[in-house]
Amino acid sequence: MIKTLLVAAAERVLNGALNLDPHFAAPLKKVQHKVLAIEIRDWQQTFALTYTGQSFMLFNNFQEQSDCHISASIATLSELKEPSQLTRLIRQEKLDLEGDLHLAQTYSQSFSNLDIDWAEHLSEYLGDAGAQQLVQQIKHVITRTKKADSILSNTTQELCQDELKVTIHPLEMTQFKAHTRELKQHAAQLEQRINQLLAR
Amino acid sequence: MKESQQNTTDFGYKTVARDEKASMVADVFHSVAAKYDIMNDLMSFGIHRLWKRQAIACSGVRKGHRVLDLAGGTGDLTAKFSQLVGDTGQVILGDINDSMLKVGRDKLRDLGLVNNIEYVQMNAEALPFPDNSIDVITIAFGLRNVTDKDAALKSMYRILKPGGRLLILEFSKTDSEALSKIYDFYSFNLLPSMGKLVANDSESYRYLAESIRMHPDQETLKDMMENAGFEQANYQNMTGGIVALHRGFKY
Repeated sequence: MIKTLLVAAAERVLNGALNLDPHFAAPLKKVQHKVLAIEIRDWQQTFALTYTGQSFMLFNNFQEQSDCHISASIATLSELKEPSQLTRLIRQEKLDLEGDLHLAQTYSQSFSNLDIDWAEHLSEYLGDAGAQQLVQQIKHVITRTKKADSILSNTTQELCQDELKVTIHPLEMTQFKAHTRELKQHAAQLEQRINQLLAR
Repeated sequence: MKESQQNTTDFGYKTVARDEKASMVADVFHSVAAKYDIMNDLMSFGIHRLWKRQAIACSGVRKGHRVLDLAGGTGDLTAKFSQLVGDTGQVILGDINDSMLKVGRDKLRDLGLVNNIEYVQMNAEALPFPDNSIDVITIAFGLRNVTDKDAALKSMYRILKPGGRLLILEFSKTDSEALSKIYDFYSFNLLPSMGKLVANDSESYRYLAESIRMHPDQETLKDMMENAGFEQANYQNMTGGIVALHRGFKY
């Protein structure tokens, strides 16, 4: 029931976005009533999203037939904001897609174009100047937070890699993986050799 | 003795004549219709909305479908189905009680849902539709009030199109002893008091608690669906079995 509650909350947020950005649903008119099933591999859950022309409906535990079924991890889904990435992700086997590709592309395009004019909506409550000021301040804080996060991440990385030497450089990791693969191949060759010798 | 058993049925914990039950249930719902939605939210702490969401997710309703929302009350399911079936589909809100239908019709019209909804007063035991004419039937929190449940299930089976499905959302039996005790205390002590306070009607809410206890459990209802002809009948428990969603198909 908690999952259903969270999905109901997510549906509410989506429908809120529909009211906040009048252009959000425009591309979806072409695909209204079609069902997009999204399987999130990390959670082993399938969700169904449909736009009815008036609102979004989002369901969990979906086991019915859909017009398009995509299966991907959370990280991959966040890359779907760019419709042109779809084919690349499919080629890289990060995304499985069955059914109508156009439906997935339309949703992807619609979400990537989502642009809520917060200042405009807040101006009803705070007045034009107040809303503009608040939105700018929030944007400023977000930019600074991202910058601070990036600096902190770099510093921690350098500290762990170079000073404390508790983690390794990504290149070392790649090298280690290559060595492990090589070792695995050697072991397999050796195993085959031993099997051949034993068979004689 | 057998004849007298055939002529009587349960009305909560009371035994009444079969032909009296429908009018007694009607009295209950005439009495609660105006406060039905607010009482549902209060009594279930809003969880009834999640139970209904789950029923809609399992309904497989698509554009162009003809859906019967039986015992649809104030139209919670109809509101969602109306959007899902679109202009080419149709939703029929059916209820035996005209007070409930009126409340439902006013509510749905206020929501701007007018194009594809029909309101029909009907008895679930003898549904006024041709054979094989409906894609999906739902009956949410209504079956326990029906006098002859077997006749109702057969009638639903008759009007379903091949490939169609029936969903029954209904209070059921919890298998947790602790939850059962809390639920009993809540149903028989708090619920009638809440009914008295909000709707000024404790008797109707006492009937609600009693009728839930008299309703067949999950397995029995599944067997009844199979006896009526439904295939692949199954159920899923929600909130520890307090509510169960049964689903059956006609092929």
